[in-house]
Amino acid sequence: MDAVLNALRYLGYVLIFPGFLFCFMTGLLLAGIDRKLVARMQKRVGPPILQPFYDFFKLCGKKTIVPAAANKTVFLLAPLLGLAALVVLQLFIPVFRIQLHLGGASRDVADVIVILYLLLIPAVSIILGGASTGSPYAGVGLSREMVTVLACELPLVLVLLGVGRYVGRDTAGGICFSLNQIVDYQMESGSLITKASLIPAAIAFLLVIPGETGNHPFDAAEAETEICEGMLAEYSGAPLGVFKLSHAIKMLTMTSLFVMLFFGGVGAGVEHLVALMGLTGGAAAAVVTILDILVMVLLCIVVTAVGISLVHAVTARLKIEQIFKYYWTVVSALALLSLVLVWYGL
Amino acid sequence: MFKKLIAESTGKSPWLFHINAGSCNGCDIELVSVLTPRYDAERLGFKLTGSPRHADIVVVTGPVTEQSLNRVLRSIEQVPDPKCIVTMGSCPQSGNVFRGSYSVAGPLSKYVHVDVDVAGCTPKPEAVIDGLYLATQILAQKRKEMKK
Repeated sequence: MDAVLNALRYLGYVLIFPGFLFCFMTGLLLAGIDRKLVARMQKRVGPPILQPFYDFFKLCGKKTIVPAAANKTVFLLAPLLGLAALVVLQLFIPVFRIQLHLGGASRDVADVIVILYLLLIPAVSIILGGASTGSPYAGVGLSREMVTVLACELPLVLVLLGVGRYVGRDTAGGICFSLNQIVDYQMESGSLITKASLIPAAIAFLLVIPGETGNHPFDAAEAETEICEGMLAEYSGAPLGVFKLSHAIKMLTMTSLFVMLFFGGVGAGVEHLVALMGLTGGAAAAVVTILDILVMVLLCIVVTAVGISLVHAVTARLKIEQIFKYYWTVVSALALLSLVLVWYGL
Repeated sequence: MFKKLIAESTGKSPWLFHINAGSCNGCDIELVSVLTPRYDAERLGFKLTGSPRHADIVVVTGPVTEQSLNRVLRSIEQVPDPKCIVTMGSCPQSGNVFRGSYSVAGPLSKYVHVDVDVAGCTPKPEAVIDGLYLATQILAQKRKEMKK
């Protein structure tokens, strides 16, 4: 009986709450808000907020053309691989203190290292899919995508080291890689964005977000005007829709990671608020859960607006060597500054 | 429910692919102006794509020269169904001032079924948006017929 219940619970996690349905809805909503905000910043009316949903369902209704030169299995399975990795990834990003009962080890199943690995898989899947078509545009696109991924990785790791060291110093010692401990720490001693030594790291992470998601100005790999959207050039119909969906979900993944790393303390505010309302027991837990999710989505929208939309509206696309140089000098320097400050006890 | 969502969405998310078939560049610029802040066709969901495989609506400009004919037809074949073909300007429709020239193979309607013609040299952005909007409705209609 317990086994069946557990299986059902896992299925619910994967398919509904932090899993597929939640990712689908919130991811596409974020993408829609991003397009609308960019339009408003350019003094346009902009598409309806639900536009990415229309795009996705329209693509599902189109015919899928598989190029004669393509490896059919890889061509069709690559988009699903990327989507699956992102949905699994979302399971490991905590929503403040909401508990997922993942067997015995409830909260520390996966840490930042696993998230770093999983973040690579969507990029690998799009490279696989593009390479399987044999299109020269895809060839150019995938070499650029690999450089972008490499460029983003260094500052991302440095930021995570800085944050881990800051939290680890005050708790267990060493470097803390558990996201749950990082969130717990923030709920007791305030969000990390308020610590002076970590502000450069927060800025660096904010700059990594558009690079990881492949948004303007770091979208040289998918430049539609010069290389026909690169690796996606040969994709059509539902597989293309899944890639667009993965791109939207990646926005949610990166922004929610930012929220949990730097705004984790907001969860304590939610708990105080519910306590003030005089609720106790099960009702309080339910209200806290709902409010936590809402607050996280709201913060994700704010981070999207600042980190993705604003940057998109004010910049033009960079060349690939400029992207690499930018990440390995400016952004890495910011992250390194934080790391050094934290290491010397600030 | 899934089918209903697809039917609902087909007309609301038309992605454009633009083919220049020997145009003088006048219509090409005018098409881009449709997407600028002043006319903002993106509010209807229009988006310019880089690959014919992503497109729903193919916009052809220019009188379809002998040089470009084969490439135009091959590009149009690569657009997955349901698709719509819109000609922009008088050139692909009738040949305009280039009619009868030794190097012009047009009009386009000799070779493929054209859904919407937007006439003018060059057409006003309002006319272009109107023509494209008509194309989205034809697109939704085609999707319905495709299922039968």
